[in-house]
Amino acid sequence: MTDHQVVSRDEWIDARRQLLAKEKALLRLREDLSRERRELPWEPVAKSYVFDGAAGKETLADLFAGRSQLIVYHFMFAPDSDAGCRGCSFWADNYNGIIPHLSQRDVSFAAVSRAPLPKLQAFAARMGWGFKWVSGANSDFNYDYQASFRKEDVARGAATYNYASYTDSMPDKPGFSVFFRDAAGDIFHTYSTYARGLDPINAVFQLLDLVPKGRDESGLAHPMSWVKLHDQYETMSG
Amino acid sequence: MTDHRIVSGDEWVDARRRLLAKEKDFLRLRDELSRERRELPWERVAKSYVFDGPAGRESLADLFAGRSQLIVYHFMFAPEAETGCKSCSFWADNYNGIIPHLNQRDVSFAAVSRAPVPKLQAFAARLGWTFKWVSSGNNDFNYDYHVSFRPQDVERGTATYNYAEQRKAMPDLPGFSVFFKDADDHIFHTYSTYARGLDPMNVAYQLLDLVPKGRDETGLQHAMAWVRLHDQYAT
Repeated sequence: MTDHQVVSRDEWIDARRQLLAKEKALLRLREDLSRERRELPWEPVAKSYVFDGAAGKETLADLFAGRSQLIVYHFMFAPDSDAGCRGCSFWADNYNGIIPHLSQRDVSFAAVSRAPLPKLQAFAARMGWGFKWVSGANSDFNYDYQASFRKEDVARGAATYNYASYTDSMPDKPGFSVFFRDAAGDIFHTYSTYARGLDPINAVFQLLDLVPKGRDESGLAHPMSWVKLHDQYETMSG
Repeated sequence: MTDHRIVSGDEWVDARRRLLAKEKDFLRLRDELSRERRELPWERVAKSYVFDGPAGRESLADLFAGRSQLIVYHFMFAPEAETGCKSCSFWADNYNGIIPHLNQRDVSFAAVSRAPVPKLQAFAARLGWTFKWVSSGNNDFNYDYHVSFRPQDVERGTATYNYAEQRKAMPDLPGFSVFFKDADDHIFHTYSTYARGLDPMNVAYQLLDLVPKGRDETGLQHAMAWVRLHDQYAT
């Protein structure tokens, strides 16, 4: 028998309505924050970046695919790895199915990794993903947008992640970056988010926030140690 | 040329850091609210519900599939319709790929609609979905959890949606409901969210909140007028 408080329907509705008022207040706060985000200044993208994609060399401008807004996911996949990072793969399972909807709102999407294109293609096929994924192996892109780190930069304290000094030994970390391309073809960096900032882009965590046990990660070695590639879990889904 | 304010890298980082502090505050408030949500009391599920699934009749207990937590998506698909609601389909595109991860956290997932199973199966096949989807065509489930409405209840003012009176004559509306099954197999209703409460479960909207134009829905007839089934957008 559960020891959680169990009440009648009327009492339950009363308690739920009180929480609903707070949920509504939080959504309003989030909208204010989104408005402030859109008011952030932009910085010009001064370098030209060229990526390796399915159709050959593609510039950052090409990734916009005729739209004016581009979201990039910095996907951790080092050139010497044979599989992408499992945390990043978890996030990819969240955005893989929604790209056609983003496209309707003048947004193109691409993931960018340092691994060579054939590795990205093989891994995407294994995972059943269809989103655009290009290799930044021959460009500074993931370094410039502070999702990849050169050892010498970390050693001399010049590396940053999530707008703070980065002293870890990981060669890559995850992030989303946003770019805008104006009618004259000039490209601007408008936003990047890293670390916990990625959390709202993961529907699993939002759903787990609704269930009695929550994320249930406090007893683990680290919060996401339960996460695996979706084809590596032992039990069947259902 | 854009007329948005353009600044140097250093100025940009300063402005971004100020926003980051607010973003962190917001996430802390959200975590606090999630804790309060888990402290809500539960209510006992007194009725037994039997659904039609691909493998035959399944009770609400069966939908837990051996786990202790169940999330139900109330998917708008009326018995006489040939396709599911396009907005519910938009949400389904968000959760279809993530079920194996939920399962690892002791959570089973099912969508429940009033349309019969063959219609659900045909529509899921068309859209490439594999999540569990059962029909409540023969039970009161979607009515009891306030996402389906009998015209007579709307008329006499006893229909509710999102914890308020439902006055519009809609047969179905969307929602998520959460259930817990204890070691003695008692089932409890722990939570339901409707309307704008569904917003955080849509990753596409969270991503649009990061781009310069935002959701860009103010000029439209209604907020989601742009949404189509994912195979119906003109490319």
